[in-house]
Amino acid sequence: MTDSSPATAAPAATRTHAFEFRATGGEYFRIWIVNLLLTILTLGIYSAWAKVRRLRYLYGSTSLAGSAFEYHGEPLKILKGRLIAVAVFGAYAFATQLWPKSIFVLLPALILLMPLVVVFSRRFQMRMTSWRGIRFGFHGEYPGAFVAYVVWGIVAVVTLYLLLPLWLYKRVGFLVSNTSLGTERFSFTAWRGRFFGFYYATLGLMTAAFLVLALLGGVFSGAAGSQDGPPSAAAMVGLGTAFVAGVIAVSLVVGAFWERSFTNAAYDGIGLGPHRLTCRIRMGRLLWLYVTNVLGVLLTLGLFYPWALIRRLRYQFECMGVEGAGSLDEFAAAAAPQASATGEAIGESFDLDFGL
Amino acid sequence: MIQGRFFDARTSAPQPARIDIGADRILRLVAQREVRQAPLEAVGISDRIGEVPRRVTFEDGAMFETPENDAVDAALDIAGHGGFARRLDRWERFWGVALAALGAVALLSWALVRFGVPPLADAVARAMPRSVDVSIGAQGLELLDETLLEPTQLPEPRQAALRGRLRTMTETAGDGHDYRLEFRRGKRVGPNAFALPSGIIVITDELVGLAQRDEEIEAVLAHEVGHVRGRHSLRILLQNAGVAALALAVLGDVGTASSLAAAVPVMLVQAKHSRDFEREADAYSRQWLRGQGLPESHFDDMMCRLAKDDADLAYLSSHPPLEERASC
Repeated sequence: MTDSSPATAAPAATRTHAFEFRATGGEYFRIWIVNLLLTILTLGIYSAWAKVRRLRYLYGSTSLAGSAFEYHGEPLKILKGRLIAVAVFGAYAFATQLWPKSIFVLLPALILLMPLVVVFSRRFQMRMTSWRGIRFGFHGEYPGAFVAYVVWGIVAVVTLYLLLPLWLYKRVGFLVSNTSLGTERFSFTAWRGRFFGFYYATLGLMTAAFLVLALLGGVFSGAAGSQDGPPSAAAMVGLGTAFVAGVIAVSLVVGAFWERSFTNAAYDGIGLGPHRLTCRIRMGRLLWLYVTNVLGVLLTLGLFYPWALIRRLRYQFECMGVEGAGSLDEFAAAAAPQASATGEAIGESFDLDFGL
Repeated sequence: MIQGRFFDARTSAPQPARIDIGADRILRLVAQREVRQAPLEAVGISDRIGEVPRRVTFEDGAMFETPENDAVDAALDIAGHGGFARRLDRWERFWGVALAALGAVALLSWALVRFGVPPLADAVARAMPRSVDVSIGAQGLELLDETLLEPTQLPEPRQAALRGRLRTMTETAGDGHDYRLEFRRGKRVGPNAFALPSGIIVITDELVGLAQRDEEIEAVLAHEVGHVRGRHSLRILLQNAGVAALALAVLGDVGTASSLAAAVPVMLVQAKHSRDFEREADAYSRQWLRGQGLPESHFDDMMCRLAKDDADLAYLSSHPPLEERASC
């Protein structure tokens, strides 16, 4: 016997495949602004084509093991879906404007509908994504989504949000473990404790930060007032500005901490066959991105947004990799699913980005 | 000859491959483990976007991927396979085009909001049955009662007298609105008056107290009647909805972070339109005073007193500057 059969070969060394993200802010800005102009000139109709072009650019700029991802959305279908969504949203907005009380009927209906929206839009998004010619897929159904999103949501609320991390965990788990690449299912094996850990750490951080802010506020307003009589208007304005700046700073820090912890915990727990996703976003870098992006967007009246998005995505992919023994060449395509035309249309109209 | 990688749509294993597009419009592929050929019409060639890898997709889903965008374009040019996407890509390459597009976007959005939305909203308002006004008016009053206003403490005879004045003012108007005067204590909103669709006019006890003559209250009432006659609140509502829908259509793809930025033009436009409507209502009030043979100074006096009383200018914030509205 030769030693070339896989069973007797020495276990392959663990390899790490890095993600590569080649989009640039300038290129994305130019695509975005041309999209925007054509969208306005066509009174919104072009927006479906714009979306496809934008997503094809972003997906196509992201590659793993030398192969880029591909977005397969079709503008005409997206346009049809959008018209449905606009009609539904318009009816809802109109109803709640005219009869504000109708929200008490519509809101429960929306809550019951929400898991369906999650399932349809996720199914659509996954089916429209491929890598190396192999399509992603989503196999979640309504009951599972209902449990993950509504039942665990109620549990979280009833326990005064003490169990909120479990709700997050169930939602991510539902989305990930029902996703596949070809015939291979993703698995979600993150440790629940990690979700509890960062949730309570975020709460602690937030409380501590606001306590410090309140204390500083008290000290300064006391100092301003104690000199002679009530504080001057200028002092109050200064204090107010400082307070607002403090609140913004705290929310940036807390927001960055939350996003870093959640993204790391969620992606780190994702497996695909013998492979595992890794995600190591660092707090300092993310906070720096937050601060500079917010400043950039504010100072340019929003024009910096394309750069902000690309910088954020680039950093995310810099931190991610796929690790494991074995090769990425062995995923097999699944048989094309037979989807109903209506299901597709609904999926497209609710093509909302739930992320993870 | 264009080099790239071929995927057979069965597994994710890449095969080194190359393609050739002949002037006969036939695409030939030579991959490590297979050879294919197909007419150009039978394969999908992805549009060029920047330097994103180009893909040729066969009918069975098999796919050839190459970074050699320029070579693909050259081959397609020879085969006479152009299209709108090629032009788009050329536009997207130049900063000059991007800047021109930016200017055009700014100009077009401004023009749409300034000249497109108001007539459209007004047309919709005209098409709306009066029952819509009645419904919105009733809901609006309920909302105000729940959030801002408290029951009036004005004596009944005083209320009746003022109601009488509004009745005389509107009897001859003949505009189909069912006018009704409501009294509330303003507390937080102080001396103030509101016009709701369908003809409900609310004035606060504080405003009644601030007036030195009943003609001054009448000037305020006439101002509010001006709002009702022009169906200003319904038109504002519809215009806001129009601008919001426009902002959503235009910026919807940009992402959530910019919805904040999108709110800014909406707010600016809203303030502008609401100031236009205030001017219209002011003009109606003055016209009514003149029609009654009363001096317009009643209006000025009341405005100035309101401005003086209200240090925060809460009443005037969504209104044109005082110097423009009244001479104090």
